[in-house]
Amino acid sequence: MAAVCTASRVLAKKVLSAKAIPAVSQSSRKLHFSVYGKNNSKVSDGMSTQYPVVDHEFDAVVVGAGGAGLRAAFGLSEAGFNTACVTKLFPTRSHTVAAQGGINAALGNMEGDDWRWHFYDTVKGSDWLGDQDAIHYMTEQAPHAVVELENFGMPFSRTEDGKIYQRAFGGQSLKFGKGGQAHRCCCVADRTGHSLLHTLYGRSLRYDTSYFVEYFALDLLMEDGECKGVIALCMEDGSIHRFRSKNTVIATGGYGRTYFSCTSAHTSTGDGNAMVTRAGLPCQDLEFVQFHPTGIYGAGCLITEGCRGEGGILINSEGERFMERYAPNAKDLASRDVVSRSITIEIREGRGCGPEKDHAYLQLHHLPPQQLATRLPGISETAMIFAGVDVTKEPIPVLPTVHYNMGGIPTNYRGQVITHTTEEGDKVVPGLFACGEAACASVHGANRLGANSLLDLVVFGRACAHTIADICTPGEKLSPLKPNAGEESVANLDKLRFADGNMRTSEIRVNMQKTMQNHAAVFRTGKVLKEGCDKMDAVYQTLDDIKTFDRGIVWNTDLVETLELQNLMLNAVQTINSAEQRQESRGAHSREDFKDRMDELDYAKPLAGQVRKPIEEHWRKHTLSTVDPKTGKVTLKYRPVIDNSLDAEDCAAIPPAIRSY
Amino acid sequence: MEVYMQKRITFSRDLSILGHRLLSSQQEQSHQDSAVTNKKDTMLSAFVAKRLVNGVCQASWRPAVAELVTTRGYKGEAPDDSRGDLIEIPLPPWTEKDGETMDIKRRRLLFQSRKRGMLENCILLSLFAKQYLNTMTEHQLRQYDRLINEPSNDWDIYYWATEAQPVPDVYTGEIMDLLKEFTKNKDQEQRLDAPNLEYLDKGSQ
Repeated sequence: MAAVCTASRVLAKKVLSAKAIPAVSQSSRKLHFSVYGKNNSKVSDGMSTQYPVVDHEFDAVVVGAGGAGLRAAFGLSEAGFNTACVTKLFPTRSHTVAAQGGINAALGNMEGDDWRWHFYDTVKGSDWLGDQDAIHYMTEQAPHAVVELENFGMPFSRTEDGKIYQRAFGGQSLKFGKGGQAHRCCCVADRTGHSLLHTLYGRSLRYDTSYFVEYFALDLLMEDGECKGVIALCMEDGSIHRFRSKNTVIATGGYGRTYFSCTSAHTSTGDGNAMVTRAGLPCQDLEFVQFHPTGIYGAGCLITEGCRGEGGILINSEGERFMERYAPNAKDLASRDVVSRSITIEIREGRGCGPEKDHAYLQLHHLPPQQLATRLPGISETAMIFAGVDVTKEPIPVLPTVHYNMGGIPTNYRGQVITHTTEEGDKVVPGLFACGEAACASVHGANRLGANSLLDLVVFGRACAHTIADICTPGEKLSPLKPNAGEESVANLDKLRFADGNMRTSEIRVNMQKTMQNHAAVFRTGKVLKEGCDKMDAVYQTLDDIKTFDRGIVWNTDLVETLELQNLMLNAVQTINSAEQRQESRGAHSREDFKDRMDELDYAKPLAGQVRKPIEEHWRKHTLSTVDPKTGKVTLKYRPVIDNSLDAEDCAAIPPAIRSY
Repeated sequence: MEVYMQKRITFSRDLSILGHRLLSSQQEQSHQDSAVTNKKDTMLSAFVAKRLVNGVCQASWRPAVAELVTTRGYKGEAPDDSRGDLIEIPLPPWTEKDGETMDIKRRRLLFQSRKRGMLENCILLSLFAKQYLNTMTEHQLRQYDRLINEPSNDWDIYYWATEAQPVPDVYTGEIMDLLKEFTKNKDQEQRLDAPNLEYLDKGSQ
């Protein structure tokens, strides 16, 4: 409703005359693509081939209203830009709301702290695949960003003296790893994600940001290698909207839903990555997918590490506490990637649990029921609701679960989307920006540290807004756009809406998810990955045989889920092909057949006398993947990691070293 | 014990701040739509009541009216939530959509049930919608609409459904009862994922 009011308010400023464009030659259905003003359009729920198109003009368009999108939209509106925010979900319902941890920032409220130590932790955490200029930018800006949020009204939890309370979180240390655990994570009790969304959404409304809620962005409008806006479907009435703008910011989140088991909501479908891929631009480092060791089997809901902290143990089909073999000292409390790998090995070797022997059990019933009820009350409810399991009697089925995507749309530290050629190096794509989980700046490199994600959202959302404010002024005239720009997207929409093949959306989706889960999960080997690539290619081809059942245009969930499947598929093929090619183990990408990291020098040995390998012979480089959407063929290129910080004197870059904790 | 005593002091300090805010917000909003004020009053007074009860409860991890913090599993020392953003940055009030047929409303609510902020709600509400949405009466549809679209924090809906938190008056009713019952999963069925949409395909049946 708000969207309709907003849209008509915008249209009052810009009324267009009706123009009819002849039918698209490619589709067999006669498709009329006509541009009407909103007041004149009539859309029925019947089988109409008419797609009324409404044009909007803005100074900036943000796609996605999660933490990063809202921060960018707010920053742009505050700077005076006429900003539109196009989102398929109501802002406070974005996946950011699931975040309960906090935001890392070296404020130094709990003990002396320095952002350079945070910089070191992040570089090391990324296994030296992160771009150090972007990491420098993020960790240096972190305290400013948190203080800024506080000024916007975010009620961070406080210590008794009224300073922002900071808690400990994994991977954070003092004095470059030598000073013990750091307490850097600022939070709003346990609803940091929600508070961030609520605060930014509320504040942005005061600056007159236009929200187009429950509009599904279909594609970017690209012309001559420049991004000129976005085309979207309004779910409420089935109309098509073209948002023309000089600056488009993509903040659409991750793509956990390519896997059978993930902790992400059903909205994490990689829409932004797919839009960029269809525009012919590359995505970066998609093979780096972070797995959390204990998500509920099937459902994927996160079972917190605290369960194991309270005495819960992982067992296999033989009832054995297998972690004792893999990590004799830490046992079930070994680091996340070690536990994930151990569970996967047990399953591969035939000791998995359940009828399909495809998961492990997390046993809690040996703990006193009182302890379960008081220390872990949420777990009992979640296990009952999603696994039908009474934790006082039975174990919970768990599986390493996809949790975060380190890869995404490649950007520089200012949030501008880049492409790369060996001759010219990095080149900015004019008019296109990206931030948040959808982007790859790259601050997380091969592995993300906890509580760095919310920081990433806020810092780079802000960076996009600042960069746009630097290079543009509000009210600039837009360059002309071809009258039939976006036609292919609408043709695709129409094709899917009336698709009548043999395979349902849900069937193809489950095939993709199972292929990814079986072939590109925690445990990767060349043979298994190659099989997976071939299977994934076959699944991709079945998209041509898809069958949808809802022919309507208003609130057509079947159509939206099918569009999302197309997007997921593009992400999946890139992920598995990139993983198959990368012959080393680094961060979250671990290969059983190539167990070591392969850098330009062997950092395990003394460096003197070693010859630096050329980039073609080592793996400390970013993967850039592109797809031909018609065939599903993936092409891979590589790009060097940025090893220098923004200011060598202020913050020395960290040379690679062996990563041990 | 000392830490706990300090926490209790914080509670009573918070209470006086809250009391003050409740009064001033009432004054501010007295010129606005009375429906909005009443709703805010109900929500704020429910909140104040909760704070009062918390202040009174002795050292128990799960007091009668559970703090948001302790029910979410092991997060270590998680400090109190002043809810300052919710009080000082009110979002535009949710309003019902006019002129929507029941059929269109059902289609909209289906989408809005399946696409939520976190996985737990995605699964729970889409299963709930599969079971009940197509047979809801108009009154029930309106209740459901309000329940899933008005609250700003998706976690709240999950806590109410799992009875970890008390339901605010404005959401109590048939639908909330149905949801709570559904959530209990008395038949202990496996809820591995949100259902595929094909149950809606009349053609295949």
